[in-house]
Amino acid sequence: MNARSRLTLFTLLFVMTALPAVAAAPARGDEASARGAVLARFDAALHADAAALERLLADDLDYCNFRGDCETKRQYIDAVKSGSLKYKSIEPTVERVKLFVDTAAVTGRVRVTATRDGLERTIHASYLAVLAWRDGRWQLTSWSSTLLELQPVS
Amino acid sequence: MKTRRTTLPAVLLSMAALVSVPCLAKDSPREAALRAAEIRRFEANVNADARALGELLDEGLEYVHSNGELDSKKSFIDSLTSGRRDYASTAADIETIRILGDVAVIRGTARVTVIDAGTTRELHIGYTDVWVWKNNRWQMTAWRSARLPDSPVK
Repeated sequence: MNARSRLTLFTLLFVMTALPAVAAAPARGDEASARGAVLARFDAALHADAAALERLLADDLDYCNFRGDCETKRQYIDAVKSGSLKYKSIEPTVERVKLFVDTAAVTGRVRVTATRDGLERTIHASYLAVLAWRDGRWQLTSWSSTLLELQPVS
Repeated sequence: MKTRRTTLPAVLLSMAALVSVPCLAKDSPREAALRAAEIRRFEANVNADARALGELLDEGLEYVHSNGELDSKKSFIDSLTSGRRDYASTAADIETIRILGDVAVIRGTARVTVIDAGTTRELHIGYTDVWVWKNNRWQMTAWRSARLPDSPVK
């Protein structure tokens, strides 16, 4: 095999191996992946999965709960890791995804039973999640919710 | 459009804007435009100014009030022009503005006096709203608020 043939073969092999990887990593987020990222965040919170939360939450996250208290990414993950915020159940629905260039606004409702600093509550809230497409994935950059019902359990 | 109560809200809003002067100094033109749009929107609510709200609100607006009630752009404007909902005064304080490409997220607090179907309510709320840059201007596309623990009406 001469040098030119070897170069052609190498180029062909490179393209064949690189193409699936390129196809697997979407250049832009879409509606389905935004919906998936919001649901994955609920799942990570429920299972206190700090590693997943690190990936799913943006460094500039502004997380405002139904009482209007706002936390950073670090504060939220620390609360979940330490158990001061412990989710017992989360039942979310995603109602609408508005897709912009590299941002998505996802709205829906969620019923959550959680213990915060020893007080267990079940809340039903309407939420607004803003996702930013960074490093090839959706990251939650803003969270806010409005209380629909509050049921103190204990 | 009603005009009877423009002075006091305008003063309150101007005061809130003045408090934020250090931030204003470093605002980019787009950020300054957004801050102005937010202040104008609160004024338009108090003045039931359908024309201004027509420009400032996105067609796809989802406005969830602090009591969980959901309004579209049309139903929100209709509620003000019909007098069913009457914002007597609003003193807003913009805390953060984040611009994410063609989308922006504002977080703030507001003291609101609203007459809702004849009942006057004094509210202290924390809010997050999402704006989108469309047709060369900012338009609000989502609003969520939470009643703060010291809100006169919980």
